[in-house]
Amino acid sequence: MTSSPPSLGASVSVSPGVRIKRMLLGGGPLVVLLLLLIFFTFASDTFANPGNISVLLTQLSILLVLGVGLTFVILLGSIDLSAEGVMASSSLVFVLLATNDRNDFQFGILAALAGVLTGSLFGLVNGILHVRLGIPSFMVTLGMGAVGIGIATVLFGGRAPQLLDQGLRSLGVDKVFGVSKLVFLAALVLVIAVLIQRYTRVGRYGYVIGGDEPIARLSGINIKKYKIYSFVLSGTGSGLAGVMAATQLGVGDPTIGLGFLFPAITAVVLGGTLLIGGRGGVLRTLVGAAIITVLANGLILIGVSIYIQTAVQGLVIVIAVVASGWSLRRRVRVIK
Amino acid sequence: MSFSRHTGQSTRRRLVTSAAVFTVAAMALVGCSSAPEDASAGATGAAADVEIVESVRSLSNSYHANWVAGGQLFADSIDKELVVITDEADSQKQLSGIKALAASGKIYALNVDPNTSSDTEAIVRAVTDAGGYVVTQWNKPDDLNPWDVGDHWVAHISFDGTVSGKEVSAKLFDAMGNEGGIIAIQGILDNTSSKQRYQGLEAALAEAPGIELLDQQTANWSRSEALTVTQTLLAKHGDAVKGIWAANDEMALGALEAVKAAGLEGQIPIIGFDAVPQALEAIQSGTSGFVATVSSDAFWQGGAALSLAYKAAIGEIKVSDLSHDERAFYGKQIIVTPDNVGDFLSTPAISDLQADFDDPFGRSQGPIN
Amino acid sequence: MSAPVLQVKNLTKSFKGVVALNDVSFEVRRHEVVGLIGENGAGKSTLLKILSGIYQPDSGEILRNGKKIVFRTVKESAAAGIGMVHQEQSLVTSVTVAENILLGAEGDAVVGGIYNWKVLNRKAQKQLDKIGSPISPTAGVEDLTFAQRQMVELAKALGVEEYTADEPVIVLDEPSSVLEGDELEVLFAQIDRLRQIASVVFVSHRLDEVLRVSDRVYILKDGVCVAERNPETADTDELHRLMVGRESSAEFYREGDQKSVVGADVLLKVDGLSRQKAFSDVSFDVRKGEVVGIAGVLGSGREELTRVLFGAEGCDSGTILLDGTSVRFSSPVGAVAAGFGYIPAERRIEGIAQSMSVQENIFLADSRPVSVGPFMMVNKARQVADEWISRLRIRTPSRNTNINNLSGGNQQKVVLAKWLNSPRLKVLILDHPTRGLDVGAKEDVYTFIRALCDQGIGIVLLADTLEETIALSHSIIVMRDGEIQRRFDAAPGQKPLPVDLVEQMV
Repeated sequence: MTSSPPSLGASVSVSPGVRIKRMLLGGGPLVVLLLLLIFFTFASDTFANPGNISVLLTQLSILLVLGVGLTFVILLGSIDLSAEGVMASSSLVFVLLATNDRNDFQFGILAALAGVLTGSLFGLVNGILHVRLGIPSFMVTLGMGAVGIGIATVLFGGRAPQLLDQGLRSLGVDKVFGVSKLVFLAALVLVIAVLIQRYTRVGRYGYVIGGDEPIARLSGINIKKYKIYSFVLSGTGSGLAGVMAATQLGVGDPTIGLGFLFPAITAVVLGGTLLIGGRGGVLRTLVGAAIITVLANGLILIGVSIYIQTAVQGLVIVIAVVASGWSLRRRVRVIK
Repeated sequence: MSFSRHTGQSTRRRLVTSAAVFTVAAMALVGCSSAPEDASAGATGAAADVEIVESVRSLSNSYHANWVAGGQLFADSIDKELVVITDEADSQKQLSGIKALAASGKIYALNVDPNTSSDTEAIVRAVTDAGGYVVTQWNKPDDLNPWDVGDHWVAHISFDGTVSGKEVSAKLFDAMGNEGGIIAIQGILDNTSSKQRYQGLEAALAEAPGIELLDQQTANWSRSEALTVTQTLLAKHGDAVKGIWAANDEMALGALEAVKAAGLEGQIPIIGFDAVPQALEAIQSGTSGFVATVSSDAFWQGGAALSLAYKAAIGEIKVSDLSHDERAFYGKQIIVTPDNVGDFLSTPAISDLQADFDDPFGRSQGPIN
Repeated sequence: MSAPVLQVKNLTKSFKGVVALNDVSFEVRRHEVVGLIGENGAGKSTLLKILSGIYQPDSGEILRNGKKIVFRTVKESAAAGIGMVHQEQSLVTSVTVAENILLGAEGDAVVGGIYNWKVLNRKAQKQLDKIGSPISPTAGVEDLTFAQRQMVELAKALGVEEYTADEPVIVLDEPSSVLEGDELEVLFAQIDRLRQIASVVFVSHRLDEVLRVSDRVYILKDGVCVAERNPETADTDELHRLMVGRESSAEFYREGDQKSVVGADVLLKVDGLSRQKAFSDVSFDVRKGEVVGIAGVLGSGREELTRVLFGAEGCDSGTILLDGTSVRFSSPVGAVAAGFGYIPAERRIEGIAQSMSVQENIFLADSRPVSVGPFMMVNKARQVADEWISRLRIRTPSRNTNINNLSGGNQQKVVLAKWLNSPRLKVLILDHPTRGLDVGAKEDVYTFIRALCDQGIGIVLLADTLEETIALSHSIIVMRDGEIQRRFDAAPGQKPLPVDLVEQMV
């Protein structure tokens, strides 16, 4: 035995080799995104035009807001499938409270807030039903999604109410510095989400609960509370997405969210947030959402036949998931 | 399954939906031992024993909402309650909802918009087994006709999208001065109406040498998707886009929003199909660029077709006496332009449709080949 | 003399009529390391769960510095200054070291739900400093080695100090079971350091280690505290006897049952096997009925070697001859079909199918003995499963019990049964087959290894300790830096000494 206690110093910090390797592997989605950007820039004359970049950013914004909210729930290892129904309800609540062609309400920005809070309320109910009654999240949220469509259908009453508040309409239609105002809103949401994830209990405990729920429980963490909070964040994201879509389309509509849910989940997973929870984050969702948006846009620009676009899109996504998730495959050791 | 029983007080009708669900569900439970008497013999019923039913995708789109409103007008005209089944585009749900109708033990007259062509056969067989009477619309397999199945499948009504597609495309080209590039936005690609409407466009293009089809994409009937696709196509083709063709109004309205956001509102003519209220308003405004749409008259589809099924159910029409031309026919479509849009903006009264209720074949444009 | 820092008096606890703890009493004095040993099922884990507030005792009391206390929750136990380092590591790998150390007890590092990372990291650093650990609080736990994680757990356990003015009591539950060589020395150094600032309860199944670090040793057997010993005067044989209740000696390793393999046919011939960055030019033979032990420290390449043999990883060059035929496997499926069996160290991950029953696990590798074509004969399967359960003395309520509900030792026996059940088994690779097992369960495994040899099965063994390697093997290969350093003959009566091996290992 030596006189001084042996130390573990040698292997305490991660070696640079490992760090670079992990960055490459963990940054897989980013690499995929860069490759797509390079490919489309060369394959299409218009892809990198300022006009198309503005279009790309606009198209990214709603998907991003939706995906960012969803990330908080997926980090828990749960899922939120209610987005389409929540967007439907929130768009109608918003439009019917703002200046519209149906009634005399003119609550302006408060109407937008009400739309967003409608989403938060759905998230709260999702969370409470899931956590308190122990119903699997996919069932609860699927059901609440249907409730959302139902409420929206009642509010819709046969025809879509139109948003006539010009200030709010401007959010979805007008541009600042060449890009839609929605883009700035989405960027703000992303920043807030990063702060929540990095600096709040909801964010940090999301990783802990998703990573190892029994340990979280043994540490005396109120798991139920933080799970509910995460569902509220997800619902709020969906609510805001519904409001954003309404400002863009100028109507509140029960079908406004159709076609958004699957791309949003794909964006989260593609970015590298694991469906089993514990690993990932909202910045990764940005990358995932960008891949999906670029792909849809780029395939149209290079003139891929509409009959095979969906297949090509699916193929690229599978390749991207495989490329970015390969390193995790071994670490997680669960393939289901 | 979601049922709603319409009582005629249309403003309150949706509030009773949930209660009706329980009523019908309870009926389903109680009624399983008392199947309709003599279901197979082609019996018709006294007017009091016949139930009238609409089965549509959902009430959350104005087309089907108008359809049901037309059905309500017919119900009011004969002073009966209307039962509505919605399936939210779930074929299985639609079929099980129709099957559950048998539980009431009454003879029913059903007017249905099957989700897809492949659902039609199962639906008409279920109705035949239950002894009801059904009129189907839009979707059926080409090689299956009502007379192949029997007298309980009264008739199939569809609309020739090729004809209306050509006519409305010509309106678009007129608005463009018969010159310049267009982009086309299709619905779900393997859908019959989407295909027919697009064939109509191709036919019109063949006769318009000045028009160039720059690009065609699908937006799956969705307004949001059409917005995105149009944004991309405008970025791709820029100023070359002088007109937008959309296979339905929802997508045309989405395209209109993309045009607005690009600061081009009013400069690019747009056409659609289905005559949804917002499209009609856009046409009426005259400034949006929305120049035309096609109406199959959803009120008529909901009312007159239901009347046909009802007349068969009460024996007023003897199905076996109908000709093949009467049992599979195209309904009338109208091109809506700023000139006649006023006629379509108001909800019709019973009196507007009474003639069609009395003669459901009045608007036939000929047999479906 | 002041009261003991922790005193347990007449603690009794039963589950559904089965007595797990019966009138157990012991005490921990200031700055003392108390060893606690006992077989699986002796009541150790029940006792620890009561101390950490997870279970409530039926009767008896716990005194802290002479004052009676009751723990209803984990938090209350922590608040009384009792910190646990669990056997199953209890760190969340997806967050940082600091977050783990202060999990659920962030205090002023989180105000109004908002994290102040500076404060959090500083507080975590303070805990790490106490054990002199150079691990950074901002490191991600997933980047740490097993041994480093244990240091973090220790730092976390020490966090209970913050709650109380008293010096903490740190309970280490089997902390050494996953450590080897240098890592163990680090742990012992840590325990020495802990002794200055806390009192320690050291639970282990490695008797020599308990004797080495403890000031006093308590022995639990069948829920009763049967003895207290002074390490100065006790030896492992005595502790073993007290724990197991039967005689112990060289008998322990069943050396008497080891039969000579001189002249036996060569079953497995490995020639010039290499894998980049893992090992190179490895050659050895395994005869029928022979146990070949492979010794080496972490990084010697022996783990990789066994994984290549079993087809879990590929090799770059070299040949493997099984029964004279060249074989190379691209996956374990091929290896199993050819007659290889593998019992891995990470039993929880690779060896058992979690959430499946004991019976299902037994037939996981090969169900042909109880099958006709693709169909499993249910009655036959039940009968065979029951046979294995009694032959291997698997302690399970029934063959249908979920394997997760079995103790580690019994899970290991199920894994053994899984391979022994395969009629095509020719070579069995045992990767730390007794890791984490108590003495009694180890004996069962040793008996079994001897029985396998009698059946003519060849065994490649990576053992838990050098003593085990020497006692069980017929011949021993020592690996260092991916190469075979030396071979030892270890036939009965010609066993090398551990020190001989160590010289070659490092």
